[in-house]
Amino acid sequence: MSSTRSARSRRATRALWLFPVPALALYLFFFAYPTAQAVQYALTDWDGYSTTYDNVGLRNFTELATGDDVFRNAAENNLKLTVTVVLAQTALALLLALYLVRTTRASTLLRALFFLPTVLSSVSVAFVWRFVYDPDGGLLNSGLRAVGLDSWQSVYLGNPDTAVFWLAVTQVWFHAGQMMVVYVAGLQAIPRELYEAAELDGAGRWDSFRHITWPLVAPATGIVVAYTTVQSFKAFDLVLGLGGNPPGPALDLLSTRVYTTFSNNEFGYAAAQSLVFMALIALLTWVQRRALRRAA
Amino acid sequence: MSSPRSLDRRAALRLFGAAGLGLAAAACAGPGGGSGATSSSASPAALATSGTPEGTVSFAHWRAEDKAVIADLIKAFVRKYPDAGVEQDIAPSADYQSTALRRIQGSKTGDLFTAFRGAQFQQIVRAGVYAPLTGTAAVDNYRANLIGPGAQAGVQYGLPYQLVFNMPLANTDALDKAGHTAAPTDWDGFLQLLDDLKTKGYTPLAWPGGDAANAGQLLNTMVMNNAPTDDAFTKIESGAYKVTDDWFLTTLEQYAQLVPYLQTRATGSTTDAVTQLFAQGRAGLLATGSFQMAGVRALGAKFPFDLLAPITTAAGKAKYEGVFNTTFILGVNSASKVQPAAYAFLEFLGDPANAGVYANGTGQHVTVQGVDYTNTDLKAVAPWLTKKTLLAPRFQFLNLDIRTAVENATVAVVGGKKPAQAAEEAQRVIDQKRA
Repeated sequence: MSSTRSARSRRATRALWLFPVPALALYLFFFAYPTAQAVQYALTDWDGYSTTYDNVGLRNFTELATGDDVFRNAAENNLKLTVTVVLAQTALALLLALYLVRTTRASTLLRALFFLPTVLSSVSVAFVWRFVYDPDGGLLNSGLRAVGLDSWQSVYLGNPDTAVFWLAVTQVWFHAGQMMVVYVAGLQAIPRELYEAAELDGAGRWDSFRHITWPLVAPATGIVVAYTTVQSFKAFDLVLGLGGNPPGPALDLLSTRVYTTFSNNEFGYAAAQSLVFMALIALLTWVQRRALRRAA
Repeated sequence: MSSPRSLDRRAALRLFGAAGLGLAAAACAGPGGGSGATSSSASPAALATSGTPEGTVSFAHWRAEDKAVIADLIKAFVRKYPDAGVEQDIAPSADYQSTALRRIQGSKTGDLFTAFRGAQFQQIVRAGVYAPLTGTAAVDNYRANLIGPGAQAGVQYGLPYQLVFNMPLANTDALDKAGHTAAPTDWDGFLQLLDDLKTKGYTPLAWPGGDAANAGQLLNTMVMNNAPTDDAFTKIESGAYKVTDDWFLTTLEQYAQLVPYLQTRATGSTTDAVTQLFAQGRAGLLATGSFQMAGVRALGAKFPFDLLAPITTAAGKAKYEGVFNTTFILGVNSASKVQPAAYAFLEFLGDPANAGVYANGTGQHVTVQGVDYTNTDLKAVAPWLTKKTLLAPRFQFLNLDIRTAVENATVAVVGGKKPAQAAEEAQRVIDQKRA
């Protein structure tokens, strides 16, 4: 009797191994296979449609590393965008969350309002902000003219030195509400007793924030920073909507660069760019995770 | 002892390992199963022009604004060929530029398809997707001098359907008020015209510097008389010419001279904004092209149009009065399963009466001969069909990065950069992309 039960139990354990099959199959088919294919293409000069190709070894990678100013410009733009968005979006989301964490009718309404941009499509956001930034009849310059600040008017996306900053503003507006929700959840999980105890010990608001809030929302900060970083690296449709297709050098990012290279029918080179892009994101995520773990 | 039907851990791991290796091996089989030999062109299949037109033709194109007019033409086509039908497969032009070849290769879509002049047309020819049209009756309907961009090595692969003029649109009321009833014949005259427009309170030249695709249109006319040869941009791409050469530096210096006459902060302006500026009668010239006439009318413009290109040379030294482009190149898919019907629709579109319906309904000139233009704006601009015009040089660029570098040099100059510096920066990118 007991041997029958143990045989059944063994069969059940073995059957458990079948459960990951669908997930693994999907992973192999939709990730492992295309990645292996990308590696293979990256070693060729394939144009995307010919049935034959030349193997070029690591030429595509050496070209990326040594002689492609356009790719380097895109990488620099991406880095500037990511740093700006991560700092601004994290700070803004935390400030909004601190202000709106208490559940009152007004805060619920405000939270919904700040969250609203997140539900819009990035293409619509891009079109609206193109109108905002347009230097001639756009909302920003018209507003500045209306209040007599004519000298503050700017060319926004048409200035290579500031275009990425204005792209960052749009992106922060677009996603800060979503990150605010993450922070609100993190803040709501902090026990009230800790603040009461701190208050009894004479701690002020800044001390409470520094010694209770900030350390205890560290996991939420980790999520916000990681998500924002990946989001900034992946920014694509928003950039095409704001900067045109292809975007000019001022707004060219790694994602749009890969797209333009594919459009140029340089599949081998674009595959190499994609792999470098993927490695950069992986490296950045790893560095961030380590930094945040150490900080926590 | 395990049941023969159960899967143990080792077996499961073996299975996944084998699947992974199989997929990796399949992935490494290479593009198109090739062997690593040098790329070669696919040979096109002969076109089936005979046979009963039957089945549903997929017509792939990028002109969403033409959908209703084409739908009317399809109805007329179906009345003529009751066993055939046509479905429009429309993609936004930017997507079409980058994805059309992959979509139509294999003919799941695009039995009849369109292509942009230049890089896309050449790629589709190299991929062997076009069924050659040389010798077919369809070709005879077109003006022979305008369908060159649809041919290669003496073979007519496609028929460019639309004829556009990529040169500034002019508000002739504004020009009259500024005292100019005839187009200037030299660069000083052009600057004088802009100055007079400015004096009358107009933005002389509305230019969408923030929209790379349309900002580049002005370059066509700025180089048409400055360039030493008609294929100067091809030669920039091949390395025979450089953007640091005198003729291109002159062009950039002339861009710098235009700055006082453009709308303020022009390098950030969108096409929508400058089109609105022009449509409201506040700008004298709109530096895009005739393809915007219908759009400007739709915005409520009441004034009459003409086209006016900057002549960048001294009087009497100009080779051309303007530029034209033929695009929307119609082609039949060599792998189409409904080729007789696709060809029949191609021939139907080339009939002068049907081409007239398309032209007058969409506000675009066509390359078909014998078309009666009833649309007021098309009629007004029709004299340009016989003027001395050059096939738009900008579309000679086959590499998008090189084109962007050259066009960006003009935007940078308008933004305040020294012409020589802008040219050097552009040439550096060109040299890298050519390597």
